[in-house]
Amino acid sequence: MTVVAPLREGRLDEARAMLEEAGKDPAANALIPFAGVEGVHYARLFLVEPAIDLKGRPIPAQLVFMADFDAPAQPRLERLVARSAAGWTRLLACCEGFTSSGGTDAGACLAFVRRQAGGDAAYYVNTVGLGAAQAVAEARLRDAIEDRLDAQPDLLKASPAGVRDKIRDWIQSSDELSWAISPPAPPSLGWRLGELAHLVLVALGALVLLPLAIVLLPFWLLALRLHERSDPAPDVLPDPHHAATLAALEDHGPVNQFTAIGFLKPGPFRAFTARLILFLIAYGVRHVFNRANLAGVKTIHFARWTFIDGGRRVIFASNYDGSVESYMDDFIDKVGWGLNAVFSNGLGYPPTQWLLWGGAHHELAFKHYLRVHQVPTQVWYAAYPSLSALNIANNAAIRLGVSGSTEAGRWLQRL
Amino acid sequence: MAAAPVTLEATDIQGLLASGYGRLRAAVYLMYQVSDAAAARDWLGRTLAPALTNAAAPVTTVATNVAISASGLERLGVAAADLSTFPAEFIDGMASPHRSRMLGDVGASAPRHWRWGGSRQRVDLLLMLFALDAAGLDRHRKALTPASGAGLSQVVELGTFDLGDHEPFGFRDGISQPAVEGLRSTTKAALPRDLVQPGEFVLGYPNEYATLPPSPSVAGSPDFGRNGSYLVFRQLHQDVAGFWNFAAREAAAAGLASPEQLAARMVGRWPGGAPLVRSPEEDTPELATFNDFAYHHDDATGLRCPIGAHVRRANPRDSLDPRPGSQQAVALVRRHRILRRGREYGPALGDPTTGPRPPLTDDGQDRGLHFICLNANLVRQFEFVQGTWVASPKFAGLYDDADPLLGVHEPVGGTFTIPGTPFRHRLQGLPRFVTAVGGEYFFLPGIRGVKRLGELT
Repeated sequence: MTVVAPLREGRLDEARAMLEEAGKDPAANALIPFAGVEGVHYARLFLVEPAIDLKGRPIPAQLVFMADFDAPAQPRLERLVARSAAGWTRLLACCEGFTSSGGTDAGACLAFVRRQAGGDAAYYVNTVGLGAAQAVAEARLRDAIEDRLDAQPDLLKASPAGVRDKIRDWIQSSDELSWAISPPAPPSLGWRLGELAHLVLVALGALVLLPLAIVLLPFWLLALRLHERSDPAPDVLPDPHHAATLAALEDHGPVNQFTAIGFLKPGPFRAFTARLILFLIAYGVRHVFNRANLAGVKTIHFARWTFIDGGRRVIFASNYDGSVESYMDDFIDKVGWGLNAVFSNGLGYPPTQWLLWGGAHHELAFKHYLRVHQVPTQVWYAAYPSLSALNIANNAAIRLGVSGSTEAGRWLQRL
Repeated sequence: MAAAPVTLEATDIQGLLASGYGRLRAAVYLMYQVSDAAAARDWLGRTLAPALTNAAAPVTTVATNVAISASGLERLGVAAADLSTFPAEFIDGMASPHRSRMLGDVGASAPRHWRWGGSRQRVDLLLMLFALDAAGLDRHRKALTPASGAGLSQVVELGTFDLGDHEPFGFRDGISQPAVEGLRSTTKAALPRDLVQPGEFVLGYPNEYATLPPSPSVAGSPDFGRNGSYLVFRQLHQDVAGFWNFAAREAAAAGLASPEQLAARMVGRWPGGAPLVRSPEEDTPELATFNDFAYHHDDATGLRCPIGAHVRRANPRDSLDPRPGSQQAVALVRRHRILRRGREYGPALGDPTTGPRPPLTDDGQDRGLHFICLNANLVRQFEFVQGTWVASPKFAGLYDDADPLLGVHEPVGGTFTIPGTPFRHRLQGLPRFVTAVGGEYFFLPGIRGVKRLGELT
């Protein structure tokens, strides 16, 4: 869910003040408290400063709302808006095109948010189908089992299978935990068929277009190399004040947010290539990298690429574990090729060769590029801020293993 | 990484990069503020620079090295435009609020409690003097300490205490070090895994990304940084009695027979040095300096050496994602190595022949480690090791396990998990054993660089 709305002239400072105040306590602030809305994993509100595009045209300041909702998103959005309608009304009053009946107007807010909502070009979910409530409940299950093991030293004398049997019996008899005996409900048949249909139909479509693609490939490669040789790639250092603003928002817990925005390089070639690559990424993360592992990176909870300003700019936003330095190092060391394919269409990216090489491997220039394009995320909410992605995946495996077929010894090693 | 061998200008590199001067058992660290820039420059260029020990010189009876903080460069007269060519983290210094969160300098370790460094007591210049013995060090100090007219006023004197090969908790230290390609004193007998491109430690040479680390410029000298390095200095107070008494109190709860058994699991090596991966049951003198082991390959589940043990997280060797046990995993770690050059301070606690063992009564003496490390990129090397591996309770899939020795354990991070069969032991509520009481980032210039600073106008 991504909502982008231009601000009215002269309302930027007011919106910024509101968001910065709310950002002090995203869960329970007076404007839009996120805590208690079911089915929200992460949410953020931030401002995009006014800019001048590459042709010299002004772009007004914009308000962006992004949320990682469990499906279906619409009823959750409705609830989120309805329960803090006054705050939404105040905030959206800063936006161009928002009209309320005067006073708090949940209906107008919802209608406006829906009107301004757009799709993401690509959206990565760490583990498809793992709900926010499930992540929280499975963390509680793991904590309870850990406490039980501490409290029952006699279990140390049992065999692994014996320990697991005892734990399982205990869970089964617990009113609060017995849900964990059965595995999470599988996705609906309809959803699975839909995914299968998408997998097959897109592949078939690609097959049909393959002859054309083979014919066009040499021309595309030629254009690519010509662009790569002439694209300017200045190594611009982040402004110290900007870097300090970003750093002040980071490392308050084990999970961090990242939001960056940048112009695409001018011309149709980069516009086409960016869309093609993001289409491939969207397909890849939907059908392949949907199980807690993005091509070797296991520390990203959610990530999205979204076109704004009629395709002139792209927002990249993610929730990840650890420091921004370790995040950028993961990018370089593990998925540099993939980032190059997307970001090299962005203005100012370090030079690439054949789309996949170079780029992020210019270590410091790449880190500077990300930091320069990063923007402060004024409000960032995390429903389970103390859980790393590895913790969530491990908790899910613990739950499955309570009554599952994992060998008991291996299951106990997860604890 | 395959790269053409490079020749380092060892005569221009300060000797601390090549050696910790182990045979020089006496050392002192003196910290100064610049009170008169012209006089200080004169002293630096004329008196100190010719006396500096370089990386090619044999270590005989004394050694001398110098490093300068960002405030020191500024006060010596480096122009603002030049200063901005240094990395932001060096200019910000160690004590910025964001850095404190990341490094674990919170609570009792917060910079507002520090004795020196940060905003508490500005430190401009660090003079490091080494000698064979105390008498030699006295003579060396008399010869080199800046005179009253040298434009420098001393703010801190940090003495050292020679505990042999052991650190104050009683564990053999300094066993595993990276080897700097091209600096022979560090590469002798080095394991291939530990061979690191010189640009990870010395500016002016290719690093592990096969690029040159950026070199700061000063007054018309665009390559001022060449042969220099960034030096991290942290004064870490160690609660030796607290550590061993905790080990004695909790060993049984951890299912272990002795305090040493628990202490060794927290460290990852035995007091004598033997790694738990190879010697899980007892200290083995023959393995005291044994280093040719890997974690994923030898002990993937941590049944021998817990995942959260100090040495396993300070240098994870082959154990990191995405492909633990692979050459790729080893190469990833090579981008996060530091050269450790610190020394202990304060007298040993407990029986000097056995090392400290419980029960111990704290004698109120200040003791710990003057942690010093060298690297070319403070963020990617020192801060990454300290923040992502040592301080983070989430290291390698853990939940609430900050480093049992160095980590912050409140309000989170105070768990230590010891894998076992049929299941783990878990200790909770670990107290703090190590407290940062001072720290700063310095630049260790090449010797020509020191002379250039002396010639600034």
